[in-house]
Amino acid sequence: MKKETAFSILEGLKNGSIDFEDYALKRLEIIQKKDPIINAYISLESEEFIRDRIKEIKDDLASGKKMKIPGLIVSIKDNISTNFLPTTAASKILENYVPPYNATVVEKILNEGGIIIGKTNLDEFAMGSTTEFSAYGVTKNPWDITRVPGGSSGGSAASLSYGSADLSLGSDTGGSVRLPASYTATVGLKPTYGTISRYGLIPYANSLEQISPMARSVKDVSLLLDVIKGYDPRDATSLNYEYKEFDEKKFKICVPDEFIEGSENPIKSTIYNLLEKIEGEGIIIEYGAKFDKLNYALSTYYTIAFAEAASNLSRYDGKLYPNYNEGHSYREMSENTRRNNFGFEVKKRILMGIFALSEGFINDYYIAATKGRRLIRDEILKITKDCIIAGSVSPVLPPKIGERINDPLKLYAMDIYTVVANLAGVPALAMPAGFYNNLPIGIQFMAGPFEEKKLLALGSFIEDKTGLYGIIAGD
Amino acid sequence: MIRLKYKIGLEIHTQLTESKTKLFCDCDSDYRKYEPNTNVCPICLGLPGALPVPRRNPLKLALAVADSFNCEIPDYMVFTRKHYFYPDLPKNYQITQYEKAGGIPVCLKGILRFFDPDKLLWKSVTLRRMNIEEDPGKTEYSEGNILLSEFAYLDYNRSGVPLLEIVTEPEIETPKDARKAVEYLLLTMEYIGAINPRLEGSFRVDANVSVEGGERVEVKNIGSTLDLEKALKYEIFRQTKIVEEGGKIKRETRHWDSIRGVTKPLRSKETEEEYLYFPDPDIPAIETKPLLMEAKSKEFLTPDKIMDKILMYGVSQKIAWSLVTVKPSAELFLESVRIGANPKIIARILAVDYKGLMKKSGKNIHDKNNWPKKEVLKELSSLITNKVYTYDEIKYNILPKLLENNENISSLLPERIEPSNLIIAVLNEEKKAVQDLISGKKEALDYLVGQVLKKAKGKALDPKLVRKIIEINIKKT
Ligand SMILES: [Zn+2]
Repeated sequence: MKKETAFSILEGLKNGSIDFEDYALKRLEIIQKKDPIINAYISLESEEFIRDRIKEIKDDLASGKKMKIPGLIVSIKDNISTNFLPTTAASKILENYVPPYNATVVEKILNEGGIIIGKTNLDEFAMGSTTEFSAYGVTKNPWDITRVPGGSSGGSAASLSYGSADLSLGSDTGGSVRLPASYTATVGLKPTYGTISRYGLIPYANSLEQISPMARSVKDVSLLLDVIKGYDPRDATSLNYEYKEFDEKKFKICVPDEFIEGSENPIKSTIYNLLEKIEGEGIIIEYGAKFDKLNYALSTYYTIAFAEAASNLSRYDGKLYPNYNEGHSYREMSENTRRNNFGFEVKKRILMGIFALSEGFINDYYIAATKGRRLIRDEILKITKDCIIAGSVSPVLPPKIGERINDPLKLYAMDIYTVVANLAGVPALAMPAGFYNNLPIGIQFMAGPFEEKKLLALGSFIEDKTGLYGIIAGD
Repeated sequence: MIRLKYKIGLEIHTQLTESKTKLFCDCDSDYRKYEPNTNVCPICLGLPGALPVPRRNPLKLALAVADSFNCEIPDYMVFTRKHYFYPDLPKNYQITQYEKAGGIPVCLKGILRFFDPDKLLWKSVTLRRMNIEEDPGKTEYSEGNILLSEFAYLDYNRSGVPLLEIVTEPEIETPKDARKAVEYLLLTMEYIGAINPRLEGSFRVDANVSVEGGERVEVKNIGSTLDLEKALKYEIFRQTKIVEEGGKIKRETRHWDSIRGVTKPLRSKETEEEYLYFPDPDIPAIETKPLLMEAKSKEFLTPDKIMDKILMYGVSQKIAWSLVTVKPSAELFLESVRIGANPKIIARILAVDYKGLMKKSGKNIHDKNNWPKKEVLKELSSLITNKVYTYDEIKYNILPKLLENNENISSLLPERIEPSNLIIAVLNEEKKAVQDLISGKKEALDYLVGQVLKKAKGKALDPKLVRKIIEINIKKT
């Protein structure tokens, strides 16, 4: 297996053993070779743009500017606004839309010397768990092209997995970076709500989602987190905070049955094996803890997400964006535009969201869900005070393309373990735990608010132990 | 015609035109001076990913208004989304503060005390609530009318401008009171620095009227306080007539046609609109106390407080109110009295004579720069109290010149001359007029006074004194 981490590339670029241009243009070459099959990208930068960008970075370096990721290749999920590449959220309704501004995180990456190589595929408006609901085609799993890469940040995960980028930004509304990470042997961290600016993230469910760093190792994820974190006055939900310092090498991990027992057998045994392997040396593991509220998590999560989505997506009526259909009146124009340019899954979620907010139903649906959410959050905060929660990322191995999307209940059930962190607003890390029949299996860790450093320290310790980092599929 | 009892309630939508910024972005709150779609940004265009961050200034102004009407101000405000599809609403939802579904408005209950200048007394109406919301953009039709036009033009310069919606209980007793209440409300907001009510479209009133035995009728889109009174008078007349003829008044919404001076029915909706209200997840609850403290760190002189101050100087209620209604004149009064000017003289200059001259010459009385400086007023006042000139000499000779040059008074002071020689000369020249006067024609006296003033060529002469001297001279003959 070929191993390549952002840290090793950064080191090579610094000491001159890797040439900036050779390296970046080689990524473009890899994309040109592999992406026609994988379809991780919706739009790509040109060779010329990348050469200019490298010149800029070299000038900055020459003038003594300190940067965290100079020369590293970053791919960005196509629901994060960039003023130099279209931002479609994988929807036809935003075809050819180039935002007049950059998301805060994009500004930060550029400022730290990152080279943004392209925008990655996703489920339309991040609504999905497989990246099959994109208006720009399905993304395939580089480990097995008959299978999905997970979603909705499947393009980002695949772009890392086949070695076209060193770092990637996804967004995580209910597991959207963790699920793809676990399906592609990459790493994804969903940070504490309010610690990464959402300014420029095309909203799906505002109260749940965070832009999230992805990479091929836990240490690389820490590097990217360090670039994008921080208070942003342009986001009213952004917090003025510091992640909690963590430097002891002691971890208490608890494994509630509910977070693992419902998983397929190969997943369970891989995770239990890994836990056994890391026990001792300052790691205490407790089994059998209870989290009896998991039953409500999915319905709570989807009710809130759909309601917010229905509201957020009402703006796409053809009047402000390049792609629209004509009509004899405003009403006809907006109906035609929405009918022809939203995908089926998006329409379904909008309708369910409207239902959850309608008079006569809002109390039983949306309001009830916000109450359920509070109960789940309180419970998670209580447990994570004492230990890091460990469990599965997904209850199933990467599904075959087409296997899940026609059965919504089965599709939504893939998120059972991941939505909890979004409902509670706490950080959660997904990283490789092992393989089964050459298919990646991930493990999830969840900690208390602002305990990112603790999670990343644990993850880093584990990847050193397992050697499962920097893996590039197919090489 | 019979007289039926009726009650009026109001919903006043005021723009916080003076807040400098829009409600959730830093674009200009006074959008009027811009070319279409040049006072916009990703936030007020509602572009995906751009986030609303409540700006402090509009919130502070709204809280100051709420505070000045003794509102019950909640500890937190919560913004909600109200959804409806409309071309001029960029996001197809408006951010407002709807109470149901989790919203918390800036004011829950207050009292609007307002002055009735005709009866010279204070009245009041209960405020049900006030809430802050964003104004939509504007739709303009190519042929000025939706039915005739092939195209509509959208201008989002106004999109996101802060609105304060003020709702009263239905307890106002007359159309005139409704007008006075709104005028007083706007005046208060002007003193606070929240609104310039003279800007086109800076406020809009929806009024509801229910006459005894009938259902509530709402009249929408009234654009001036004068129209408000007219629309209400018309509506009461219309409803009374229906009752008189044995008809029933049904619940409906009507539209005020200010050109024809009538209300017209709006298409009635079959069902209640479904707005899908819910708390805006992009905007956490906002603590009101710190904002209110900041707002109150500057003392707001509301019209009632200013009126009390002016009355303390022994000015009549009528004159005091007249000063209060023109903010610069009230402020100037207090400033010049504070540095020693005579209150009665200054009140008369500001509330009557100088204001009259400004109006006649088309000057904007609401622009502070068009008024004389307080030092100038003090000087005028002492010229009169020290008997250097009489009030009328100042009024006729100096005030008109101040309109052109309100900085420097010494150059305007007329040379004082002794009238006797001028008078004798005029009496010698105007034999016929003198004869007329002797034979009892009173108009001849006015003519003679006029001739003397003409001869004085702008030098200071007191017309009353001239009159007196002529009369004495005539009697002697
Ligand atoms: Zn703006």
